[in-house]
Amino acid sequence: MNKIRSLIVLCALAASTALSAQNVNEMLINEVLVKNETSLVDGFGNRNGWIELLNSSYGTVDIGGCYLSNDTRNMKKYLIPSGDINTKIAPRQVVVFYASGNGDQGTFYTNFKIEPGDTLYLVSNDGRTVIDQVVIPAALGTDQSYGRVHIEGTIDDTEFELLPSPSPNSQNGDPEAETKSQIMARTDPHGWIISLTSMSVVFTSLIVLFLIFKLIGKLSVKYMKTGKNKEKTAAVHNSHPKVSAKGGNDEVAAAIAMAIEKEFGAETEAAIALALHLHLNSYVHDQESFVITIKPRMTFWSDKRDMQLHKPTK
Amino acid sequence: MNTVLENIGEFLKFTGFANATWGHIAMIIVGLAFIYIAIKREWEPLLLVPIGFGMIVGNIPLFPGLNVGIYEDGSVLNILYQGVQKGWYPPLIFLGIGAMTDFSALIANPKLMLIGAAAQLGIFGAYAIALAMGFAPNEAGAIGIIGGADGPTAIFLSSKLAPDLMGAIAVSAYSYMALVPVIQPPIMRLCTTKKERLIRMPAPRIVSQREKILFPIAGFLLTAFIVPSGLPLLGMLFFGNLLKESGVTRRLAETARGPLIDVVTILIGLTVGCSTQADKFLQPSSILIFVLGFLSFAIATFGGVMFVKFMNLFLKPGNKINPLIGNAGVSAVPDSARISNLEGLKYDKRNFLLMHAMGPNVAGVIGSAVAAGILLGFLG
Repeated sequence: MNKIRSLIVLCALAASTALSAQNVNEMLINEVLVKNETSLVDGFGNRNGWIELLNSSYGTVDIGGCYLSNDTRNMKKYLIPSGDINTKIAPRQVVVFYASGNGDQGTFYTNFKIEPGDTLYLVSNDGRTVIDQVVIPAALGTDQSYGRVHIEGTIDDTEFELLPSPSPNSQNGDPEAETKSQIMARTDPHGWIISLTSMSVVFTSLIVLFLIFKLIGKLSVKYMKTGKNKEKTAAVHNSHPKVSAKGGNDEVAAAIAMAIEKEFGAETEAAIALALHLHLNSYVHDQESFVITIKPRMTFWSDKRDMQLHKPTK
Repeated sequence: MNTVLENIGEFLKFTGFANATWGHIAMIIVGLAFIYIAIKREWEPLLLVPIGFGMIVGNIPLFPGLNVGIYEDGSVLNILYQGVQKGWYPPLIFLGIGAMTDFSALIANPKLMLIGAAAQLGIFGAYAIALAMGFAPNEAGAIGIIGGADGPTAIFLSSKLAPDLMGAIAVSAYSYMALVPVIQPPIMRLCTTKKERLIRMPAPRIVSQREKILFPIAGFLLTAFIVPSGLPLLGMLFFGNLLKESGVTRRLAETARGPLIDVVTILIGLTVGCSTQADKFLQPSSILIFVLGFLSFAIATFGGVMFVKFMNLFLKPGNKINPLIGNAGVSAVPDSARISNLEGLKYDKRNFLLMHAMGPNVAGVIGSAVAAGILLGFLG
């Protein structure tokens, strides 16, 4: 028993570690600009190179405690301060670090500058695990940025390219990109394609479900007809008297259902009619255990043990 | 004295009388009509009473800045409305629906599932018509889901695809669900012959407890793998059903189908009603949504009935399905199944279709949740 408990605790710990790591692991280096003449101005009025990180997950990620570096021999070159609320990056959002070379200027100013040809690393808070890295092209020109773009035909895969124009503090790509609805309006203006596709999917889902339950039903009927199960089913059938004439069940059900219909709403009618049908045809019956158990139910209000002061323990 | 009069004059400017418009009055009358229909006719009273009263609450003319309106950040109503806006009320309702639904009829005769799929034609028919009327695809998808005859699904999808139209879509969906007894029978009669209406269906077989437990697990795995975007609705629906059928979580199942669903129904009904403020609801688009909602219901009914007739072409005599249960392929549990039964009894007083109609009826719940997931995947 203790072994099982230990195993559960270990599994829980492993799972929580994995989850925590998974969060930071979904941070990406999203865009880099090295030679800045007309792009983003930092809070001190200077134009430095900048590094944009993207939280590619659908949950908030705290990057406090992680590192940025451009030196393989020193992966802990710039520690992103923890405890700053701004290091909590919202889902699918970006954050920009200015490569000013002066880390004392604030959380988002690195203590190193970047140059074309550098390899940039985003390192986990253990100082060893590289979360993401990118080699900045040696030929990256002035006010040119190098960033991730979505690979066509994939859901979330990206690759680095020279971007047509820098887009700090926003997702890369065409700002006028179409929404799914706009794409659909263009590609399927009359709605036939989506209708046919969707109906096919709905039918496919329910056809597969139908086939599965047809098979399960056949197996179930077969199972009920074998050996002991057959005897059990027969016993249940024989233990309940049937209404006399053939079709009598239906007449009784009809009479009761009509009376119910006048008295109650649809749900009651549906439930009672189905139950009547099953009962009169001896399909289902309550299985009683024939054991009566009466347990006193003590609550906070009635249990004297809870109402009295407990003796102090030594 | 002048100061007192000035104060009274100032106070009067804050009252609802000073700020009332014809729109407010019109919406209050609509709200009263909903309450009247619910109480007098007993049409969907559990929904129409909260929605009707919510319409009255939401259309009390307010002095701006009081921070009590449903669209004002941080107000009580606004906080309650988050469940609709963020879409977490509908899955909770699906949990309750799952815990109160008996899938036996469907498991006993699984081919009835296909009727639940065919009736989703209403959703996509209305989608195409809405596009032709000039709605954007996301709006058309949200409007089309009215044809699923499932209020929570309609609210869930419209909150994701077209939040601006959610009030009109929700009210339209619930109104037409209440009007199922009026809309469906003429279409059912139009699509069937007298001979078809007299078809008697064989009694369903015994369904074992094991099958009932397997159904929510297999159903969830299959539908969620095919349409992951429908996860909140499908997951909660099948989870609720597992609570019911497992036999060991009776208390949880009772809470889900009792107090929990009641609380959420009150909140969803009231806040959806409140969201129909005159300035947002009384738009030409709302009228179009009501027209499209009717069409989607009609197409769904037509699709379900005609599909049964199509199935009958391939079924042996004695195994044929009465097409009067085709209408039950729209969700609207159990009202549309009840309509099948009542229509059947009109032509044969001993032909009880209710238990057969419950099969496509609950399949419709699954089908509309799957359809909502598909639309969300394509347009969300």
